[in-house]
Amino acid sequence: MRKKQAIINAILYICLTVVLIVTLFPVVYTILASFKTNAEILTNPGSMLPKDPSVDNYVQAWTSESFHVPTLLRNSLIYTLVNVFTTLLVSSMAGYVFARGHFRFKKLIFYCFTALMFIKTGGITIYATFKVLTAIHLDRSLFALMVVHLFGIPIVNIYLIKGNVETIPIDIDEAAKIEGCSFIGIFYRIILPLLKPILATIGILAFNSSWNEYLMPNIFTLTTPGQRTLIVGLMALKSSGASAASWNLMLAGATIAMIPVLAAFAFCNKYFVKGIAAGAVKG
Amino acid sequence: MVRGKTRTGKKFIGSEAFWCYLMIAIPIIGFLVLQVYPILWTFKWSFYSYYGVESAARFVGLDNFKTFFTQDFTYWKAWGNTLLFALVKMPLEISFAMLLALALNKKLKGFGFFQAIYFLPHVISTVIVGLILTNMFSYNGIINNLLIKTGVISSRIDWFADRAHAFAMIIIGSIWSTFGINVMYLLAALATVPEELYESAEVDGASKTRIFFSITLPLIAPVFQTILLLSLVGSLSVNEYIIVLTNGGPHGQTNSVMSYLYTKFVPGFMESASTPQLGYGCAMALVTTVIFATVAFLYNKFSNRMKNLY
Repeated sequence: MRKKQAIINAILYICLTVVLIVTLFPVVYTILASFKTNAEILTNPGSMLPKDPSVDNYVQAWTSESFHVPTLLRNSLIYTLVNVFTTLLVSSMAGYVFARGHFRFKKLIFYCFTALMFIKTGGITIYATFKVLTAIHLDRSLFALMVVHLFGIPIVNIYLIKGNVETIPIDIDEAAKIEGCSFIGIFYRIILPLLKPILATIGILAFNSSWNEYLMPNIFTLTTPGQRTLIVGLMALKSSGASAASWNLMLAGATIAMIPVLAAFAFCNKYFVKGIAAGAVKG
Repeated sequence: MVRGKTRTGKKFIGSEAFWCYLMIAIPIIGFLVLQVYPILWTFKWSFYSYYGVESAARFVGLDNFKTFFTQDFTYWKAWGNTLLFALVKMPLEISFAMLLALALNKKLKGFGFFQAIYFLPHVISTVIVGLILTNMFSYNGIINNLLIKTGVISSRIDWFADRAHAFAMIIIGSIWSTFGINVMYLLAALATVPEELYESAEVDGASKTRIFFSITLPLIAPVFQTILLLSLVGSLSVNEYIIVLTNGGPHGQTNSVMSYLYTKFVPGFMESASTPQLGYGCAMALVTTVIFATVAFLYNKFSNRMKNLY
Protein backbone atom coordinates (compact mmCIF):
# COMPACT_ATOMS: atom_id res chain seq x y z
CA MET A 1 0.00 0.00 0.00
CA ARG A 2 2.80 2.34 0.97
CA LYS A 3 4.75 1.47 -2.13
CA LYS A 4 1.71 2.08 -4.29
CA GLN A 5 1.29 5.53 -2.75
CA ALA A 6 4.94 6.34 -3.44
CA ILE A 7 4.55 5.42 -7.11
CA ILE A 8 1.40 7.53 -7.42
CA ASN A 9 3.20 10.48 -5.86
CA ALA A 10 6.15 10.05 -8.22
CA ILE A 11 3.81 10.05 -11.24
CA LEU A 12 2.09 13.13 -9.82
CA TYR A 13 5.40 14.97 -9.49
CA ILE A 14 6.38 14.05 -13.04
CA CYS A 15 3.07 15.28 -14.51
CA LEU A 16 3.18 18.51 -12.53
CA THR A 17 6.79 19.09 -13.57
CA VAL A 18 5.91 18.64 -17.25
CA VAL A 19 3.19 21.28 -16.88
CA LEU A 20 5.69 23.48 -15.05
CA ILE A 21 8.21 23.25 -17.89
CA VAL A 22 5.57 24.00 -20.54
CA THR A 23 4.41 27.00 -18.48
CA LEU A 24 7.88 28.44 -18.07
CA PHE A 25 9.09 27.63 -21.57
CA PRO A 26 7.81 30.74 -23.43
CA VAL A 27 9.18 33.07 -20.75
CA VAL A 28 12.60 31.41 -20.62
CA TYR A 29 12.69 31.25 -24.42
CA THR A 30 12.03 35.00 -24.64
CA ILE A 31 14.68 35.92 -22.11
CA LEU A 32 17.30 33.70 -23.78
CA ALA A 33 16.39 34.91 -27.28
CA SER A 34 16.84 38.51 -26.18
CA PHE A 35 20.58 37.79 -26.14
CA LYS A 36 20.58 36.52 -29.74
CA THR A 37 21.22 38.57 -32.87
CA ASN A 38 18.20 39.32 -35.03
CA ALA A 39 19.51 37.00 -37.75
CA GLU A 40 19.76 34.15 -35.29
CA ILE A 41 16.24 34.75 -33.97
CA LEU A 42 14.82 34.65 -37.51
CA THR A 43 16.82 31.79 -38.98
CA ASN A 44 17.58 29.49 -36.09
CA PRO A 45 14.82 29.61 -33.51
CA GLY A 46 15.17 25.86 -32.91
CA SER A 47 17.97 26.17 -30.41
CA MET A 48 17.18 27.67 -27.04
CA LEU A 49 20.61 28.93 -26.10
CA PRO A 50 22.09 31.85 -28.02
CA LYS A 51 25.16 30.82 -30.03
CA ASP A 52 27.06 33.92 -29.13
CA PRO A 53 25.25 35.67 -26.27
CA SER A 54 25.58 39.44 -26.25
CA VAL A 55 23.90 42.41 -24.62
CA ASP A 56 23.91 44.36 -27.91
CA ASN A 57 20.11 44.29 -28.10
CA TYR A 58 19.84 45.97 -24.72
CA VAL A 59 22.44 48.59 -25.62
CA GLN A 60 20.59 49.24 -28.87
CA ALA A 61 17.21 49.45 -27.10
CA TRP A 62 18.67 51.87 -24.58
CA THR A 63 20.02 54.22 -27.27
CA SER A 64 17.55 53.70 -30.15
CA GLU A 65 15.70 56.78 -31.37
CA SER A 66 12.40 55.18 -32.35
CA PHE A 67 12.21 52.75 -29.43
CA HIS A 68 13.86 54.77 -26.70
CA VAL A 69 13.60 52.55 -23.66
CA PRO A 70 14.64 55.09 -20.98
CA THR A 71 11.77 57.43 -21.94
CA LEU A 72 9.30 54.57 -22.22
CA LEU A 73 10.37 53.21 -18.85
CA ARG A 74 10.04 56.63 -17.22
CA ASN A 75 6.51 57.04 -18.61
CA SER A 76 5.51 53.55 -17.48
CA LEU A 77 6.87 54.19 -14.01
CA ILE A 78 5.09 57.54 -13.54
CA TYR A 79 1.84 56.18 -14.95
CA THR A 80 1.94 53.08 -12.76
CA LEU A 81 2.90 54.79 -9.50
CA VAL A 82 0.26 57.51 -9.86
CA ASN A 83 -2.41 54.91 -10.65
CA VAL A 84 -1.45 52.74 -7.69
CA PHE A 85 -1.67 55.76 -5.39
CA THR A 86 -5.05 56.95 -6.67
CA THR A 87 -6.47 53.40 -6.62
CA LEU A 88 -5.45 52.95 -2.99
CA LEU A 89 -6.80 56.37 -2.02
CA VAL A 90 -10.17 56.02 -3.75
CA SER A 91 -10.87 52.38 -2.94
CA SER A 92 -9.87 52.58 0.74
CA MET A 93 -12.10 55.59 1.38
CA ALA A 94 -15.02 54.18 -0.60
CA GLY A 95 -14.69 50.73 0.99
CA TYR A 96 -14.72 52.29 4.46
CA VAL A 97 -17.71 54.51 3.68
CA PHE A 98 -19.75 51.60 2.27
CA ALA A 99 -18.88 49.43 5.26
CA ARG A 100 -19.39 51.92 8.09
CA GLY A 101 -21.12 55.04 6.84
CA HIS A 102 -24.77 55.95 7.41
CA PHE A 103 -26.19 58.17 4.70
CA ARG A 104 -29.07 58.35 2.27
CA PHE A 105 -28.79 56.45 -1.02
CA LYS A 106 -25.90 54.33 0.29
CA LYS A 107 -27.40 51.10 -1.04
CA LEU A 108 -28.48 52.68 -4.30
CA ILE A 109 -25.02 54.12 -4.98
CA PHE A 110 -23.38 50.80 -4.18
CA TYR A 111 -25.72 48.92 -6.52
CA CYS A 112 -25.05 51.43 -9.28
CA PHE A 113 -21.30 51.00 -8.92
CA THR A 114 -21.67 47.21 -8.94
CA ALA A 115 -23.91 47.22 -12.01
CA LEU A 116 -21.06 48.77 -14.00
CA MET A 117 -19.36 45.39 -14.05
CA PHE A 118 -22.00 44.17 -16.47
CA ILE A 119 -21.88 47.07 -18.89
CA LYS A 120 -19.74 46.35 -21.94
CA THR A 121 -19.93 49.06 -24.55
CA GLY A 122 -16.93 47.92 -26.55
CA GLY A 123 -14.89 51.09 -26.43
CA ILE A 124 -17.17 53.44 -28.37
CA THR A 125 -17.81 55.50 -25.22
CA ILE A 126 -14.24 56.78 -25.54
CA TYR A 127 -15.68 59.51 -27.81
CA ALA A 128 -17.90 60.66 -24.95
CA THR A 129 -14.89 60.63 -22.62
CA PHE A 130 -13.04 62.82 -25.13
CA LYS A 131 -15.96 65.24 -25.08
CA VAL A 132 -15.75 65.49 -21.29
CA LEU A 133 -11.99 66.09 -21.47
CA THR A 134 -12.44 68.80 -24.10
CA ALA A 135 -15.02 70.47 -21.88
CA ILE A 136 -12.51 70.73 -19.04
CA HIS A 137 -9.73 71.79 -21.46
CA LEU A 138 -7.63 68.68 -21.06
CA ASP A 139 -5.78 67.38 -24.12
CA ARG A 140 -5.36 63.68 -24.78
CA SER A 141 -2.20 62.68 -22.95
CA LEU A 142 -0.92 60.25 -20.39
CA PHE A 143 -1.75 62.86 -17.74
CA ALA A 144 -5.35 63.05 -18.96
CA LEU A 145 -5.58 59.27 -18.72
CA MET A 146 -4.35 59.39 -15.12
CA VAL A 147 -7.17 61.84 -14.39
CA VAL A 148 -9.67 59.50 -16.07
CA HIS A 149 -8.23 56.68 -14.00
CA LEU A 150 -8.62 58.68 -10.78
CA PHE A 151 -12.33 59.06 -11.55
CA GLY A 152 -12.73 55.40 -12.50
CA ILE A 153 -14.53 53.14 -10.03
CA PRO A 154 -12.31 50.33 -8.71
CA ILE A 155 -15.31 48.23 -7.72
CA VAL A 156 -13.47 44.96 -7.02
CA ASN A 157 -11.04 46.77 -4.71
CA ILE A 158 -13.92 48.57 -3.02
CA TYR A 159 -15.47 45.15 -2.36
CA LEU A 160 -12.18 43.88 -0.91
CA ILE A 161 -11.79 46.87 1.43
CA LYS A 162 -15.45 46.80 2.46
CA GLY A 163 -15.17 43.10 3.33
CA ASN A 164 -12.03 43.76 5.34
CA VAL A 165 -13.45 46.73 7.27
CA GLU A 166 -16.49 44.63 8.15
CA THR A 167 -14.21 42.13 9.95
CA ILE A 168 -12.90 44.89 12.25
CA PRO A 169 -14.99 45.00 15.48
CA ILE A 170 -17.31 48.01 15.48
CA ASP A 171 -16.58 48.54 19.21
CA ILE A 172 -13.26 50.10 18.21
CA ASP A 173 -15.12 52.75 16.22
CA GLU A 174 -17.58 53.36 19.03
CA ALA A 175 -14.82 53.79 21.58
CA ALA A 176 -12.99 56.25 19.34
CA LYS A 177 -16.22 58.14 18.74
CA ILE A 178 -16.70 58.58 22.48
CA GLU A 179 -13.13 59.87 22.70
CA GLY A 180 -14.23 62.55 20.26
CA CYS A 181 -12.87 61.13 17.04
CA SER A 182 -14.78 62.18 13.91
CA PHE A 183 -15.91 59.81 11.15
CA ILE A 184 -12.93 60.63 8.96
CA GLY A 185 -10.62 60.65 11.98
CA ILE A 186 -11.58 57.05 12.77
CA PHE A 187 -10.76 56.12 9.19
CA TYR A 188 -7.41 57.82 9.18
CA ARG A 189 -6.20 56.97 12.69
CA ILE A 190 -7.75 53.55 13.36
CA ILE A 191 -9.10 51.76 10.29
CA LEU A 192 -6.41 52.64 7.74
CA PRO A 193 -3.49 51.23 9.77
CA LEU A 194 -5.44 47.97 10.19
CA LEU A 195 -5.96 47.72 6.43
CA LYS A 196 -2.25 47.52 5.59
CA PRO A 197 -2.25 43.86 4.42
CA ILE A 198 -5.22 44.27 2.06
CA LEU A 199 -3.82 47.59 0.82
CA ALA A 200 -0.59 45.78 -0.04
CA THR A 201 -2.58 43.24 -2.03
CA ILE A 202 -4.57 45.90 -3.87
CA GLY A 203 -1.42 47.93 -4.47
CA ILE A 204 0.43 45.02 -6.00
CA LEU A 205 -2.50 44.06 -8.24
CA ALA A 206 -2.92 47.70 -9.32
CA PHE A 207 0.80 47.93 -10.04
CA ASN A 208 0.59 44.83 -12.19
CA SER A 209 -2.45 45.90 -14.18
CA SER A 210 -1.27 49.50 -14.75
CA TRP A 211 2.19 48.43 -15.80
CA ASN A 212 0.72 45.92 -18.27
CA GLU A 213 -2.10 48.10 -19.58
CA TYR A 214 -2.26 48.59 -23.32
CA LEU A 215 -5.64 49.69 -24.76
CA MET A 216 -6.23 52.96 -22.92
CA PRO A 217 -2.61 54.23 -22.85
CA ASN A 218 -2.46 53.51 -26.59
CA ILE A 219 -5.58 55.58 -27.28
CA PHE A 220 -4.38 58.47 -25.13
CA THR A 221 -0.84 58.68 -26.54
CA LEU A 222 -1.71 58.35 -30.24
CA THR A 223 -0.75 61.94 -30.98
CA THR A 224 2.02 62.15 -28.38
CA PRO A 225 4.47 59.26 -29.02
CA GLY A 226 6.87 60.78 -26.49
CA GLN A 227 4.42 59.84 -23.73
CA ARG A 228 4.04 56.19 -24.68
CA THR A 229 4.51 53.61 -21.98
CA LEU A 230 6.85 50.67 -22.51
CA ILE A 231 3.99 48.30 -23.36
CA VAL A 232 2.51 50.75 -25.88
CA GLY A 233 5.96 51.29 -27.39
CA LEU A 234 6.48 47.55 -27.75
CA MET A 235 3.18 47.09 -29.53
CA ALA A 236 3.88 50.08 -31.79
CA LEU A 237 7.15 48.43 -32.79
CA LYS A 238 5.36 45.13 -33.45
CA SER A 239 2.73 46.75 -35.68
CA SER A 240 5.27 48.89 -37.55
CA GLY A 241 6.60 47.88 -40.97
CA ALA A 242 10.04 47.19 -39.52
CA SER A 243 8.82 44.53 -37.10
CA ALA A 244 10.56 41.56 -38.76
CA ALA A 245 13.85 43.41 -38.52
CA SER A 246 13.39 44.34 -34.87
CA TRP A 247 12.67 41.05 -33.14
CA ASN A 248 15.88 41.48 -31.17
CA LEU A 249 14.70 44.90 -29.94
CA MET A 250 11.21 43.64 -29.19
CA LEU A 251 12.41 40.64 -27.21
CA ALA A 252 14.89 42.78 -25.25
CA GLY A 253 12.11 45.32 -24.62
CA ALA A 254 9.73 42.54 -23.58
CA THR A 255 12.30 41.21 -21.14
CA ILE A 256 12.82 44.67 -19.64
CA ALA A 257 9.04 45.10 -19.36
CA MET A 258 8.68 41.72 -17.65
CA ILE A 259 11.35 42.36 -15.00
CA PRO A 260 9.27 44.58 -12.66
CA VAL A 261 6.20 42.34 -12.71
CA LEU A 262 8.21 39.15 -12.34
CA ALA A 263 10.15 40.69 -9.46
CA ALA A 264 6.93 41.86 -7.82
CA PHE A 265 5.51 38.39 -8.33
CA ALA A 266 8.58 36.68 -6.87
CA PHE A 267 8.67 38.84 -3.74
CA CYS A 268 4.97 39.49 -3.19
CA ASN A 269 3.51 36.20 -4.39
CA LYS A 270 1.60 35.88 -1.13
CA TYR A 271 -0.32 39.11 -1.76
CA PHE A 272 -1.22 38.12 -5.32
CA VAL A 273 -2.64 34.81 -4.14
CA LYS A 274 -4.54 36.38 -1.27
CA GLY A 275 -6.22 39.02 -3.40
CA ILE A 276 -7.22 36.59 -6.09
CA ALA A 277 -8.44 33.84 -3.80
CA ALA A 278 -10.48 36.36 -1.79
CA GLY A 279 -12.01 37.64 -5.01
CA ALA A 280 -13.29 34.19 -5.95
CA VAL A 281 -14.43 32.83 -2.61
CA LYS A 282 -16.16 36.01 -1.46
CA GLY A 283 -17.36 37.09 -4.89
CA MET B 1 -27.35 60.02 16.18
CA VAL B 2 -25.60 62.32 13.80
CA ARG B 3 -28.10 61.23 11.20
CA GLY B 4 -30.91 62.92 13.12
CA LYS B 5 -29.18 66.25 12.88
CA THR B 6 -28.87 66.09 9.11
CA ARG B 7 -32.53 65.31 8.77
CA THR B 8 -33.51 68.42 10.63
CA GLY B 9 -30.97 70.27 8.53
CA LYS B 10 -29.33 71.72 11.61
CA LYS B 11 -25.73 70.94 10.92
CA PHE B 12 -24.93 68.97 7.78
CA ILE B 13 -21.37 70.20 7.40
CA GLY B 14 -19.12 68.12 9.64
CA SER B 15 -21.75 65.42 10.15
CA GLU B 16 -21.12 61.76 9.37
CA ALA B 17 -23.20 61.87 6.18
CA PHE B 18 -21.23 64.91 5.06
CA TRP B 19 -17.94 63.06 5.45
CA CYS B 20 -19.40 60.00 3.69
CA TYR B 21 -20.40 61.98 0.63
CA LEU B 22 -17.09 63.82 0.62
CA MET B 23 -15.08 60.60 0.81
CA ILE B 24 -16.87 59.05 -2.15
CA ALA B 25 -17.19 62.29 -4.09
CA ILE B 26 -14.55 61.24 -6.62
CA PRO B 27 -16.21 57.95 -7.62
CA ILE B 28 -19.66 59.59 -7.63
CA ILE B 29 -18.46 62.34 -10.00
CA GLY B 30 -16.69 59.66 -12.05
CA PHE B 31 -19.86 57.59 -12.16
CA LEU B 32 -21.98 60.48 -13.42
CA VAL B 33 -19.49 62.01 -15.84
CA LEU B 34 -17.51 59.02 -17.13
CA GLN B 35 -20.14 56.26 -16.87
CA VAL B 36 -23.70 57.56 -16.97
CA TYR B 37 -23.05 60.38 -19.44
CA PRO B 38 -21.25 58.10 -21.98
CA ILE B 39 -24.09 55.57 -21.76
CA LEU B 40 -26.69 58.27 -22.43
CA TRP B 41 -24.45 59.57 -25.21
CA THR B 42 -24.34 56.09 -26.78
CA PHE B 43 -28.11 55.76 -26.44
CA LYS B 44 -28.77 59.10 -28.12
CA TRP B 45 -26.44 58.71 -31.10
CA SER B 46 -27.57 55.16 -31.84
CA PHE B 47 -30.60 56.78 -33.53
CA TYR B 48 -28.46 59.05 -35.70
CA SER B 49 -26.18 58.91 -38.67
CA TYR B 50 -23.21 60.55 -36.99
CA TYR B 51 -19.65 60.93 -38.21
CA GLY B 52 -18.32 62.90 -35.25
CA VAL B 53 -19.65 66.26 -36.45
CA GLU B 54 -22.78 67.12 -34.51
CA SER B 55 -24.10 69.75 -36.92
CA ALA B 56 -23.99 67.19 -39.74
CA ALA B 57 -25.70 64.42 -37.76
CA ARG B 58 -28.98 63.15 -39.16
CA PHE B 59 -31.77 61.41 -37.22
CA VAL B 60 -32.40 57.99 -38.76
CA GLY B 61 -34.64 56.33 -36.19
CA LEU B 62 -34.03 52.60 -35.97
CA ASP B 63 -32.10 52.36 -39.24
CA ASN B 64 -28.75 51.61 -37.55
CA PHE B 65 -30.27 48.67 -35.72
CA LYS B 66 -32.10 47.47 -38.83
CA THR B 67 -28.92 47.48 -40.88
CA PHE B 68 -26.93 45.21 -38.66
CA PHE B 69 -29.82 42.95 -37.77
CA THR B 70 -30.79 42.34 -41.41
CA GLN B 71 -27.88 43.23 -43.72
CA ASP B 72 -24.45 43.47 -42.10
CA PHE B 73 -23.59 40.11 -40.61
CA THR B 74 -19.93 40.78 -39.78
CA TYR B 75 -20.91 41.71 -36.22
CA TRP B 76 -22.80 38.44 -35.74
CA LYS B 77 -19.92 36.47 -37.23
CA ALA B 78 -17.72 38.03 -34.54
CA TRP B 79 -20.25 36.75 -31.97
CA GLY B 80 -19.95 33.32 -33.56
CA ASN B 81 -16.17 33.43 -33.17
CA THR B 82 -16.50 34.58 -29.58
CA LEU B 83 -18.88 31.74 -28.69
CA LEU B 84 -16.63 29.22 -30.42
CA PHE B 85 -13.66 30.57 -28.46
CA ALA B 86 -15.53 30.31 -25.14
CA LEU B 87 -17.04 26.90 -25.86
CA VAL B 88 -13.71 25.33 -26.81
CA LYS B 89 -11.52 27.10 -24.30
CA MET B 90 -13.63 26.90 -21.13
CA PRO B 91 -14.20 23.12 -20.89
CA LEU B 92 -10.55 22.42 -21.75
CA GLU B 93 -9.18 24.97 -19.34
CA ILE B 94 -11.52 24.31 -16.42
CA SER B 95 -11.11 20.53 -16.54
CA PHE B 96 -7.34 20.85 -16.90
CA ALA B 97 -7.23 23.30 -13.98
CA MET B 98 -9.48 21.00 -11.94
CA LEU B 99 -7.13 18.03 -12.44
CA LEU B 100 -4.15 20.15 -11.40
CA ALA B 101 -6.00 21.59 -8.40
CA LEU B 102 -7.04 18.12 -7.21
CA ALA B 103 -3.42 16.97 -7.49
CA LEU B 104 -2.04 20.06 -5.76
CA ASN B 105 -4.66 19.75 -3.02
CA LYS B 106 -2.71 16.74 -1.69
CA LYS B 107 -0.30 19.39 -0.41
CA LEU B 108 2.87 17.40 -0.94
CA LYS B 109 6.27 19.05 -0.60
CA GLY B 110 6.96 21.80 -3.12
CA PHE B 111 3.37 22.09 -4.31
CA GLY B 112 3.19 25.75 -3.34
CA PHE B 113 5.98 26.39 -5.81
CA PHE B 114 4.17 24.56 -8.62
CA GLN B 115 1.05 26.59 -7.96
CA ALA B 116 2.98 29.86 -8.03
CA ILE B 117 4.69 29.06 -11.33
CA TYR B 118 1.41 28.01 -12.98
CA PHE B 119 0.08 31.44 -12.16
CA LEU B 120 3.13 33.25 -13.56
CA PRO B 121 1.94 33.80 -17.18
CA HIS B 122 -1.05 35.68 -15.77
CA VAL B 123 1.10 38.54 -14.43
CA ILE B 124 2.71 39.14 -17.83
CA SER B 125 1.22 41.86 -20.03
CA THR B 126 -1.11 40.64 -22.77
CA VAL B 127 1.01 42.60 -25.25
CA ILE B 128 4.09 40.61 -24.29
CA VAL B 129 2.11 37.36 -24.41
CA GLY B 130 1.01 38.29 -27.94
CA LEU B 131 4.57 39.19 -28.86
CA ILE B 132 6.00 35.92 -27.53
CA LEU B 133 3.30 33.80 -29.18
CA THR B 134 3.69 35.62 -32.50
CA ASN B 135 7.39 34.85 -32.44
CA MET B 136 7.01 31.23 -31.32
CA PHE B 137 4.21 30.42 -33.78
CA SER B 138 5.84 32.22 -36.73
CA TYR B 139 6.46 30.21 -39.91
CA ASN B 140 10.11 29.58 -39.09
CA GLY B 141 9.42 29.65 -35.37
CA ILE B 142 10.24 27.27 -32.58
CA ILE B 143 6.80 25.62 -32.38
CA ASN B 144 6.92 24.48 -36.02
CA ASN B 145 10.51 23.34 -35.46
CA LEU B 146 9.57 21.27 -32.41
CA LEU B 147 6.54 19.75 -34.14
CA ILE B 148 8.62 18.73 -37.14
CA LYS B 149 11.41 17.33 -34.98
CA THR B 150 8.99 15.21 -32.98
CA GLY B 151 7.27 14.05 -36.16
CA VAL B 152 3.84 15.49 -35.35
CA ILE B 153 3.73 17.40 -38.65
CA SER B 154 5.68 16.87 -41.86
CA SER B 155 5.73 20.43 -43.20
CA ARG B 156 5.60 23.83 -41.54
CA ILE B 157 2.21 25.30 -40.65
CA ASP B 158 1.39 28.93 -41.30
CA TRP B 159 -0.56 29.48 -38.08
CA PHE B 160 -1.71 32.95 -39.07
CA ALA B 161 -2.96 32.11 -42.57
CA ASP B 162 -6.22 30.25 -42.00
CA ARG B 163 -9.02 30.39 -39.49
CA ALA B 164 -8.66 26.88 -38.03
CA HIS B 165 -4.95 27.16 -37.25
CA ALA B 166 -5.24 30.73 -36.01
CA PHE B 167 -8.03 29.62 -33.67
CA ALA B 168 -6.01 26.67 -32.40
CA MET B 169 -3.12 29.01 -31.65
CA ILE B 170 -5.38 31.55 -29.94
CA ILE B 171 -6.90 28.88 -27.71
CA ILE B 172 -3.58 27.22 -26.83
CA GLY B 173 -2.01 30.58 -25.96
CA SER B 174 -5.04 31.69 -24.03
CA ILE B 175 -5.11 28.55 -21.90
CA TRP B 176 -1.40 28.95 -21.28
CA SER B 177 -1.84 32.45 -19.96
CA THR B 178 -4.90 31.93 -17.75
CA PHE B 179 -5.11 28.31 -16.54
CA GLY B 180 -3.06 29.17 -13.45
CA ILE B 181 -5.61 31.61 -12.11
CA ASN B 182 -8.29 28.91 -12.35
CA VAL B 183 -6.02 26.47 -10.52
CA MET B 184 -5.72 29.08 -7.80
CA TYR B 185 -9.48 29.71 -7.63
CA LEU B 186 -10.20 25.99 -7.49
CA LEU B 187 -7.61 25.39 -4.78
CA ALA B 188 -9.20 28.15 -2.72
CA ALA B 189 -12.54 26.39 -3.24
CA LEU B 190 -11.18 22.95 -2.38
CA ALA B 191 -9.68 24.32 0.83
CA THR B 192 -13.21 24.95 2.09
CA VAL B 193 -14.10 21.22 1.99
CA PRO B 194 -13.60 19.62 5.44
CA GLU B 195 -10.95 16.88 5.47
CA GLU B 196 -13.14 14.52 7.58
CA LEU B 197 -15.72 14.18 4.81
CA TYR B 198 -13.15 12.56 2.51
CA GLU B 199 -11.98 10.26 5.28
CA SER B 200 -15.41 8.97 6.19
CA ALA B 201 -16.30 8.48 2.53
CA GLU B 202 -13.16 6.43 2.05
CA VAL B 203 -14.01 4.35 5.08
CA ASP B 204 -17.39 3.68 3.49
CA GLY B 205 -15.55 2.41 0.44
CA ALA B 206 -16.47 5.17 -2.03
CA SER B 207 -14.30 5.35 -5.16
CA LYS B 208 -12.24 8.47 -5.99
CA THR B 209 -14.57 9.43 -8.85
CA ARG B 210 -17.59 8.90 -6.66
CA ILE B 211 -16.08 11.08 -3.94
CA PHE B 212 -15.38 13.82 -6.46
CA PHE B 213 -18.87 13.91 -7.94
CA SER B 214 -20.81 13.26 -4.72
CA ILE B 215 -18.82 15.26 -2.18
CA THR B 216 -16.27 17.63 -3.65
CA LEU B 217 -18.25 19.08 -6.54
CA PRO B 218 -21.50 19.75 -4.59
CA LEU B 219 -19.56 21.33 -1.73
CA ILE B 220 -17.58 23.69 -3.94
CA ALA B 221 -20.62 24.42 -6.12
CA PRO B 222 -21.15 28.02 -4.90
CA VAL B 223 -17.53 28.98 -5.55
CA PHE B 224 -17.46 26.94 -8.74
CA GLN B 225 -20.43 28.93 -9.95
CA THR B 226 -18.48 32.15 -9.48
CA ILE B 227 -15.39 30.70 -11.17
CA LEU B 228 -17.46 29.69 -14.19
CA LEU B 229 -19.10 33.11 -14.36
CA LEU B 230 -15.72 34.87 -14.26
CA SER B 231 -14.39 32.53 -16.92
CA LEU B 232 -17.48 32.97 -19.08
CA VAL B 233 -17.50 36.76 -18.90
CA GLY B 234 -13.73 36.81 -19.41
CA SER B 235 -13.91 34.55 -22.47
CA LEU B 236 -16.84 36.36 -24.06
CA SER B 237 -15.25 39.78 -23.59
CA VAL B 238 -11.82 38.72 -24.88
CA ASN B 239 -10.40 41.75 -26.63
CA GLU B 240 -6.82 42.90 -26.10
CA TYR B 241 -5.46 39.39 -26.49
CA ILE B 242 -7.02 38.99 -29.95
CA ILE B 243 -5.88 42.47 -31.00
CA VAL B 244 -2.25 41.87 -30.07
CA LEU B 245 -2.04 38.31 -31.42
CA THR B 246 -3.95 38.13 -34.72
CA ASN B 247 -5.68 41.53 -34.81
CA GLY B 248 -8.72 39.56 -35.95
CA GLY B 249 -6.89 38.12 -38.93
CA PRO B 250 -6.91 36.44 -41.35
CA HIS B 251 -9.58 38.75 -42.86
CA GLY B 252 -11.41 39.30 -39.58
CA GLN B 253 -12.06 35.58 -39.18
CA THR B 254 -10.78 35.43 -35.61
CA ASN B 255 -12.30 38.69 -34.37
CA SER B 256 -14.19 38.52 -31.10
CA VAL B 257 -17.11 40.88 -30.50
CA MET B 258 -14.99 43.29 -28.49
CA SER B 259 -12.00 43.26 -30.82
CA TYR B 260 -14.39 43.70 -33.74
CA LEU B 261 -15.89 46.82 -32.15
CA TYR B 262 -12.41 48.16 -31.37
CA THR B 263 -11.06 47.62 -34.88
CA LYS B 264 -14.17 49.28 -36.32
CA PHE B 265 -14.68 52.26 -34.05
CA VAL B 266 -11.87 53.04 -31.62
CA PRO B 267 -9.05 55.41 -32.63
CA GLY B 268 -5.66 53.71 -32.55
CA PHE B 269 -7.13 50.34 -33.51
CA MET B 270 -9.27 51.21 -36.54
CA GLU B 271 -8.27 50.16 -40.03
CA SER B 272 -9.34 53.48 -41.53
CA ALA B 273 -8.05 56.86 -40.43
CA SER B 274 -11.34 58.75 -40.90
CA THR B 275 -14.04 58.80 -38.24
CA PRO B 276 -16.48 55.92 -38.83
CA GLN B 277 -20.27 56.09 -38.60
CA LEU B 278 -20.39 56.40 -34.84
CA GLY B 279 -24.19 56.10 -34.65
CA TYR B 280 -23.92 52.63 -36.10
CA GLY B 281 -21.22 51.80 -33.55
CA CYS B 282 -23.42 53.10 -30.73
CA ALA B 283 -26.27 50.84 -31.86
CA MET B 284 -23.92 47.86 -31.85
CA ALA B 285 -22.51 48.82 -28.45
CA LEU B 286 -26.02 48.99 -26.96
CA VAL B 287 -27.01 45.60 -28.33
CA THR B 288 -23.68 44.16 -27.13
CA THR B 289 -24.15 45.34 -23.57
CA VAL B 290 -27.74 44.06 -23.52
CA ILE B 291 -26.52 40.64 -24.69
CA PHE B 292 -23.84 40.59 -22.00
CA ALA B 293 -26.26 41.54 -19.26
CA THR B 294 -28.69 38.87 -20.49
CA VAL B 295 -25.98 36.20 -20.48
CA ALA B 296 -24.97 37.09 -16.92
CA PHE B 297 -28.61 37.13 -15.81
CA LEU B 298 -29.47 33.80 -17.47
CA TYR B 299 -26.30 32.23 -16.15
CA ASN B 300 -27.14 33.28 -12.59
CA LYS B 301 -30.68 32.01 -12.88
CA PHE B 302 -29.70 28.72 -14.45
CA SER B 303 -26.77 28.01 -12.15
CA ASN B 304 -28.79 28.84 -9.05
CA ARG B 305 -31.22 26.15 -10.07
CA MET B 306 -28.25 23.81 -10.51
CA LYS B 307 -27.09 24.62 -7.00
CA ASN B 308 -30.52 23.75 -5.57
CA LEU B 309 -30.43 20.36 -7.22
CA TYR B 310 -27.58 19.25 -5.03
